[in-house]
Amino acid sequence: MNRKTTVLPDRIVGLLFVVPFVVLAAVFMVYPVIEAIRMAFLSYNPLRPDLTTFVALANFAFIFEDPLFWDSFGQATVWTVLSIVFQTVFGVGIALLLHQALAGIAIFRGLLLFPYIVPTVVIALIWRWIFNPEIGVVNHALLAAGLIQTPIYWLSTPEMAMASTIMLNVWKYTPFVVICVLARLQTVPLELYDAAKVDGAGIIRRFLDVTLPQLKEVLIVVIVFRTIWTFNKFEEIYLLTKGGPGTSTFNLAVYSFEQSIASLRLGVGAATGVVMMVMLFLGSVIYLRVSGFGADEKSS
Amino acid sequence: MIRERLGPIVLRLALYASLTAITFLVCFPLIWALTTSLKPKAEIFAVPPTLWPQAITLENYAALLSGKSQYFQAEGQAAIGTSPAKFFMRWFANSAIVTFGSTLISITVATLAAYSLTRFRYWGQRFVPYFSLLGYMIPSIIFVFPLFLMMVRIGLTDSLWSLILGYVCVTLPFCMWLMWAFMRSIPIEIEEAALIDGASRLQVFSQVVLPSALPGIIAAGIFSMIVSWNDYLFGRVFMNSLDNLTLTVGVMLFFEGTHVDWGLLMAASVLMTVPMALVFAALQRHLVAGFGAGAVKG
Repeated sequence: MNRKTTVLPDRIVGLLFVVPFVVLAAVFMVYPVIEAIRMAFLSYNPLRPDLTTFVALANFAFIFEDPLFWDSFGQATVWTVLSIVFQTVFGVGIALLLHQALAGIAIFRGLLLFPYIVPTVVIALIWRWIFNPEIGVVNHALLAAGLIQTPIYWLSTPEMAMASTIMLNVWKYTPFVVICVLARLQTVPLELYDAAKVDGAGIIRRFLDVTLPQLKEVLIVVIVFRTIWTFNKFEEIYLLTKGGPGTSTFNLAVYSFEQSIASLRLGVGAATGVVMMVMLFLGSVIYLRVSGFGADEKSS
Repeated sequence: MIRERLGPIVLRLALYASLTAITFLVCFPLIWALTTSLKPKAEIFAVPPTLWPQAITLENYAALLSGKSQYFQAEGQAAIGTSPAKFFMRWFANSAIVTFGSTLISITVATLAAYSLTRFRYWGQRFVPYFSLLGYMIPSIIFVFPLFLMMVRIGLTDSLWSLILGYVCVTLPFCMWLMWAFMRSIPIEIEEAALIDGASRLQVFSQVVLPSALPGIIAAGIFSMIVSWNDYLFGRVFMNSLDNLTLTVGVMLFFEGTHVDWGLLMAASVLMTVPMALVFAALQRHLVAGFGAGAVKG
């Protein structure tokens, strides 16, 4: 009863606090996404907006009949799967190393997380420099070590360009996996290891039987998140290879960008975006299921 | 795994050795960029490459900071008027302005809204976290063009405001998500006690809630700054005059000549990385608060 008197003016403060968010979200987030969906059903040339016409599903028909769309889809899948596998394996490995109680571990931790904050533009520039076929340090090192006889054309053959973009992606985002796994490792009860030791389990057994089950949840969450983001990445590919050589490193984001900017088919680009959103939505549903987000909400 | 009683020194040395090797591999691209930027023109193309510059020079940095590209002058190129080095400091300032502006807006709006959502009850509040989560999963490529057309309509193209608002729309969802998760974890009892003692809601917010929410605000701020500073796509689509570009878009123009000045490019790369590296080094421990609350953007 007593609360009621203070709650009324309070309510107004509370509502005022949320107004800026609602306005910004409506104008700059909801509206653009709705526009993006609407555009997918239009033939829209940004230079001749007066010629805009409703084309129903023609844009979707266009992309589904376009071999380049399917190539992009396939390449994006290869790119995503390989990136995620390497990121997860390296990420867990590095996190286990960083979890050791060693003097000076904080320095290693700081340095190993650093790639995460380096701008993609900078990484792409550095990659082009160190993987330069004639003057790049990587080819020099490999030639000097006798591992290769002729320079590798890192960015100008389809397979190597794909490998280079995967390396870039793994380099930049492994720290993400490290941070998440490290945070989880710190909460694993030590008694579990002691018990395993008493049972005579060696290091490998203890990893498989104690650590890995404890990491299962965080790994699922990380893998789902990273898969969604990696599949839709634009800059990591575009800045390094522009989707090339040819179209060999196109993914759906680059395809959408090129359709919109180079071919001025904003409708086709938007339709690609809608396809990406549908897949992303499915991914999010999986995430919400495995993370138990809804259940958590009820208890609070 | 083997936390307590690491046992033999050999194991410890092996751990240090593998950590050092991995750290070197991870940091090598950055080290190489730094040394390249300090080498004189001739040494950059030396065969075999020198790991550490034989003669350290700051000419690349001087060229960027003073806006004069020595390379172009030395080669007698006519392209001096459009030499990207000329605009470097301008781009740097633009990036700083949009990063600071968008971060300030995002964290202010998110903090206020998160407080409201976790302390009051009204229709629709349940959806905001879901909405935010979905919002920060959606890749920028999907809404960059609709947003651009909207900026055209309200006459903001080629203005730094368009980028500030654009970055707000990228960073706000995950700032919101992070602040919401963080605010939820702040116990409500102290606030209630202060309210009963006669403090107004605004007093409680500024004197009780804000200080305890600070780690979350800092984490949201770091993520938001990193995303805005590192973005390429929005800058590329929204801006068109050389004066108004941000660093990421501007520096990519260094490639549009007949030859690439690698020393200059690597110096630009180093200067672009330094601000975020400083922020990261200063606030690194707060990042854990963000990752703990489950809000990350990648």
